[in-house]
Amino acid sequence: MNVPSTTPAAPTAPRRGRLALVWRRFRRGRAAVAGLVVFAALVLFTLLGGLLTPYTHTAVDFTALTQGPSMEHPFGTTAGGNDVYAQAVHGLQRSLVIAVTVSLLTTAIGAVVGSGAAYLGGGRAWGRRGERAVLGVVHFLMVVPAFLILSLASQWGSGDYRVLIVALTALSWMTGARLVWTVATTLREREYVLAARFMGVPGPAIVLRHLIPNIGSLLIVSFTLTVVAVVQAETALSFIGFGVQVPDVSLGTMLADGSASMTTAPWLLTVPATLLLLTTVSLALVGDGLRDALDPTSQAGGRA
Amino acid sequence: MLRYLLRRGAGWVAMIVVATNLTYLLANSFLDPRVNYLQLRPPRSDEEISRSLAQYNLDPGTPLLQRWWTWITGILTRWDWGSSPVGDSVNEQVAFRVVMSGQLVFGALVLSVLIGVALGVYSAQRRHRPADRVAQFVSVIALNTPVAVAGLVVVVAAITINQAVGQTLFYVAGAQTPGVTGFWPVVLDRVQHLVLPTISLLFTSYAGYHMLQRAMLLDVVGSDYVRTARAKGLTRGQAIRTHGLRSSLIPVATQVAFAIPALFTGAVLTEKIFSWQGMGDYLIRTISENDVHGVVATAAFAALATAVGAILADVAVVALDPRVRVG
Repeated sequence: MNVPSTTPAAPTAPRRGRLALVWRRFRRGRAAVAGLVVFAALVLFTLLGGLLTPYTHTAVDFTALTQGPSMEHPFGTTAGGNDVYAQAVHGLQRSLVIAVTVSLLTTAIGAVVGSGAAYLGGGRAWGRRGERAVLGVVHFLMVVPAFLILSLASQWGSGDYRVLIVALTALSWMTGARLVWTVATTLREREYVLAARFMGVPGPAIVLRHLIPNIGSLLIVSFTLTVVAVVQAETALSFIGFGVQVPDVSLGTMLADGSASMTTAPWLLTVPATLLLLTTVSLALVGDGLRDALDPTSQAGGRA
Repeated sequence: MLRYLLRRGAGWVAMIVVATNLTYLLANSFLDPRVNYLQLRPPRSDEEISRSLAQYNLDPGTPLLQRWWTWITGILTRWDWGSSPVGDSVNEQVAFRVVMSGQLVFGALVLSVLIGVALGVYSAQRRHRPADRVAQFVSVIALNTPVAVAGLVVVVAAITINQAVGQTLFYVAGAQTPGVTGFWPVVLDRVQHLVLPTISLLFTSYAGYHMLQRAMLLDVVGSDYVRTARAKGLTRGQAIRTHGLRSSLIPVATQVAFAIPALFTGAVLTEKIFSWQGMGDYLIRTISENDVHGVVATAAFAALATAVGAILADVAVVALDPRVRVG
């Protein structure tokens, strides 16, 4: 005989917070953990690496021009006598700062614009017109020759990385907005959103309190993968001379330096190429791991 | 179908016109063609520079609207896209460079799709086995390798091989050696130049198709109609080939169609590294030489390529997906 119990069965494991759960699932992916370790090491390198050398990225050592790695200059020197180690610390930092800032901005703009448009579209006729207008702008910006405008803008800003951040953000928020919009259009029909709407909660509050928190995991994953894309875009622009420009240094300008003398001074090429590859691959692994850990239906991380 | 395509085509033409004119405006506000004359010795006076630029419709002294009118009527009546600040015809440059880019881009595109799809099918059928894991590991790295790094690594490797062999097996710059004659020597020479840039484009682009094809095929393998095919008595391989492959190809085909425009302008870095005089190289050159008309022509070409890609994607979906009907 089955007697319906009045008290729920005692939980066999202690209740875990959402964050602890995600972390447990994330830890199961070996590649993701490896990516996180490598990326953390790279961040430590840019933050503290400068303390290990007396040189800065602009300092010139005239006694050592195009010298291979040595005790004095662990990664060698450039043709102009700059310490490659100091340049690597600064260049990686510059590339990461640009990439993380742009990703934060594009993710934030994409979240607000995408879910805002979706919210408007669920409302009255003028709201649907507003949604269509936003989507029109998004689609138009996706057709605009982004690479060309980026080159024009950063050429005009003569290599100031802040100009580059603004230009990259202005030309890459649409993809995220479009993605968020797609997901948010299904969310806006959910009971809790409808309930809030009929209780008279103002639109901006619904977007910020109900729509955006519910696409949080999408935003986190998209943020990580955008960092990878922006690192690639920035180094590509800097490599051809349209992104970060001298006297500033990024991984892209270092690659350009190294490509000029790849057979005579290979260390000028291997240092930035290795750092760049480690950055993009480790972050991509972290992004994939986060996607598996945050997605409750994913089986990739095993059972939670 | 034809009416649908015409309607879509008209929309895209409007989009191209807007994008091109917008670029004209932007290029004129960001680029200053006078710079090309400022370093000349003996130095030119402002009037002389203006007079030189005026003959190419680039004089900043003329109102922008008037310059725009001259430019747009030139295109509409004579298909003349203008000239660079030093008088080179944009039409000639683009005609030459589109062919150069095409040689590079289409070989890489066809190869990367073939390799990517084949690998995707292979590793989906061996999911979670060592072969699949190795292929996925390589693809994750390839997918996230910056184009510049891939190109430079290929160059270094080729130089090493050349030195080990003792003769130039691969050329790391340009598209052909001047002075080569005869049919087979020319073909061999072209191939020796093409191999390296193709490999570096291939390495950075095949992995996307591999991952997508694998994921899509795995989705389809669990579907009802593949199970039905298996129940009818087909082997696993037959069921996948005759029923699963076609529908899993749809998203891949869409991605390929959209990759065509990205490849033309995305080969910028590859063309720079291998000194390949294609459209990507032209883009860099026109911007750094303040060549307003060249920049605009490149943008128009990129917009056209995007439109062609999008329409091809539509056609591919209709051709592959029996559930989609248009018109």
